Amino acid sequence: MAHVVVDPITRIEGHLRIETEVEGGTVRDAWSSSTMFRGVEIILKGRDPRDAWVFTQRICGVCTTVHAITSIRAVEHAIGANPPPNARLLRNLIIGAQCVQDHVIHFYHLHALDWVDIVSALSADPAKTASLAQSISDWPISGRAYFTDVRARLKDFVAGGRLGPFANAYWGHPAYKLPPEANLMAVGHYLQALDFQRQFIRMHAILGGKNPHLQSFLVGGMATPVDADSQNALNMGTIAELSKLVASARDFVTRVYMPDVLAIAAFYKDWAGIGAGVGNYLSYGEYPEDDNPNPNMYLPGGTILNRDLGKVAPVEPDKISEYVKHSWYDYKGGDDKPLPPFKGETSPNYTGPKPPYERLHLDRKYSWVKSPRYEDHPMEVGPLARMLVAYAYGRPSRVKELVDNTLKALGVGPQALFSTLGRTAARAIESQVIAEKMQDWVAALAESMARRDYRICDNSKFDPSTWPEECWGSGFHEAPRGSLGHWVHIRNGEIVNYQCVVPTTWNAGPRDAHGKRGPYEEALVGTPIAKPDQPLEILRTVHSFDPCLACAVHVLDTERREIVKVSVV
Amino acid sequence: MTERLGLLVLGLGNVLCGDDGLGAAAVHLLQQAYRVPEGVLVIDGGTLGLALLPMLQDAEQVLMVDAVRAPGAEPGTAVRLAGMDVPPAVRERLSPHQIGVADLLDAAQLMGCGPGNMLLVGLVPHDLGLRVGLSPAVERAMPALVETIVAEARALGFEFVPRPHDEQARRLDGADGVVSLLGLRRPGR
Repeated sequence: MAHVVVDPITRIEGHLRIETEVEGGTVRDAWSSSTMFRGVEIILKGRDPRDAWVFTQRICGVCTTVHAITSIRAVEHAIGANPPPNARLLRNLIIGAQCVQDHVIHFYHLHALDWVDIVSALSADPAKTASLAQSISDWPISGRAYFTDVRARLKDFVAGGRLGPFANAYWGHPAYKLPPEANLMAVGHYLQALDFQRQFIRMHAILGGKNPHLQSFLVGGMATPVDADSQNALNMGTIAELSKLVASARDFVTRVYMPDVLAIAAFYKDWAGIGAGVGNYLSYGEYPEDDNPNPNMYLPGGTILNRDLGKVAPVEPDKISEYVKHSWYDYKGGDDKPLPPFKGETSPNYTGPKPPYERLHLDRKYSWVKSPRYEDHPMEVGPLARMLVAYAYGRPSRVKELVDNTLKALGVGPQALFSTLGRTAARAIESQVIAEKMQDWVAALAESMARRDYRICDNSKFDPSTWPEECWGSGFHEAPRGSLGHWVHIRNGEIVNYQCVVPTTWNAGPRDAHGKRGPYEEALVGTPIAKPDQPLEILRTVHSFDPCLACAVHVLDTERREIVKVSVV
Repeated sequence: MTERLGLLVLGLGNVLCGDDGLGAAAVHLLQQAYRVPEGVLVIDGGTLGLALLPMLQDAEQVLMVDAVRAPGAEPGTAVRLAGMDVPPAVRERLSPHQIGVADLLDAAQLMGCGPGNMLLVGLVPHDLGLRVGLSPAVERAMPALVETIVAEARALGFEFVPRPHDEQARRLDGADGVVSLLGLRRPGR
């Protein structure tokens, strides 16, 4: 039995550590740990709830908008503010843009490197690469000259010894199955994805201002003025620009991202039977379509247990609670009972080994992440959960169509969805569904303008004197990497308690008081490992969840942080 | 390709982690005290990653402002790095999926359009713990850091002009959220 430790899991924000027992070329057991402390909740105590989003958007550089939106929803829920339709449309566009952009980045800049051997691309034939690219898509940037240039640039780059984003990988590993031409095509699309991202990010500038941290959020609505005739507002000109950007996203996702996922997946079909995990799925639902307190969601919320797509139930937030039995926190009432987020406590108490260490105390506490449970079930969250819930409900019909098309193209049944490959495919499917849907929100915004409906914010509740002396609110959001909830307790206009249950907490959490594994841990059991000293297969499954530890936990662990040697002037 | 930017002044760091956010704070203080000249873009990059790529690609020259750990040096000590000494110093700036600022510089180069000239100015931090606001030693050094940015920009041919006092006061009362939330004082001149 080999004890294989991956720490840190490369290309992930924050410190995630995975320990596994490997026997006979297979993972027998796994433990997921974060070695950084979490605690933005502590910073928010005593602050003005209207400012909370400014702080939460700084939790993490990947998830700025998602923590801002969720915080605003929680505070609006607490104080009873009702954002008008234009604010809902703008938020849907911001959420949708973030989702598509994040999924493209995840696939090309994080996850593809688990399937694509960059070094092998150097030996590809550009003419054959062009034929391959043209056989899977009518995307125009696919000629022989283009791939010759990509190969030359890659060669120069590798020769310069600066692997940069391609460093720390297991090039030449036997688990890489793509022919050199498919690898070179993927490198070309890696660069094109950077170009796409560079253009598409203008959505942010239009919707949120020049600063890359969006400044246009406001409790009660948005701070972006809408006026068809004004130069200093969202006007008919910006609508045209939004429409163009959304069309370009749809184009890239449909003609590059989706065909690439299908082409790469065809070489890795065994991964449709690996990495299933807990088999329980949760989605809060996203993209409200009306302005009622419980709006209809374009992607419905729901829970699925034991992979039973025949039984999907609505989410009841009261069923959510968090354990700290294996996390470095103390609960006043003891660690065997979970606490619901409104009564959540964040009292850190590190009892792990003193760094540097070989192994964590896996039978005791071993992570800074708590263990959230839904009615005591560990739940997987993320694009796969959202697509499964939508598929099970049969709405929107576009999800069902695209899921069925994908299964057909790969010649596999719905059971294949419960896998590492299923997670990766679900992310591409969701990107296409949302990129297509965004055009409807742009059109609805244009209709508002045509009606001269310029309402953008409900200011009636902005003054704290209009609030109850004490109130509670919860905000829910489906972030790119999964279900995000913020819970806020307000008294006399100040935050008394604030708790975030973030996607990576759901997925990366440790065992609970009953010893039930979290989703990463369960998904890794049974994973084949060709070379224990190069556990590429562990990275594949963990990366398929799109981890983001900076949200799940918070502070940089200065002890472990690389010290940079510099000369002082 | 859009017209290239003369100089990008890029503040880095997490404002929720004490002195880690000093670079982000410095560029806000800079914008309060000075008008940004033509051809210069001043950005609070926080801990963002790929979102910064378009700006890095567009810029002919980059001046980064960041907390730099230097063993043995007193907190608040000024640090200056140039050229190829910059990427290793920002390598720890992990962002989307551990694509850090150093990786972005590499990616820009791979795409054939990285900045030609790179500089980094900053301070040695004291406390990187979960806290909003700077430690006294670092806060005392902030006005000098702002002046260093102005001097470096001047050496590159870009003149930041001080805002009149009433304009500075207006900006303090205005929507420039981060600085007022963090309780920072404007630099005395």
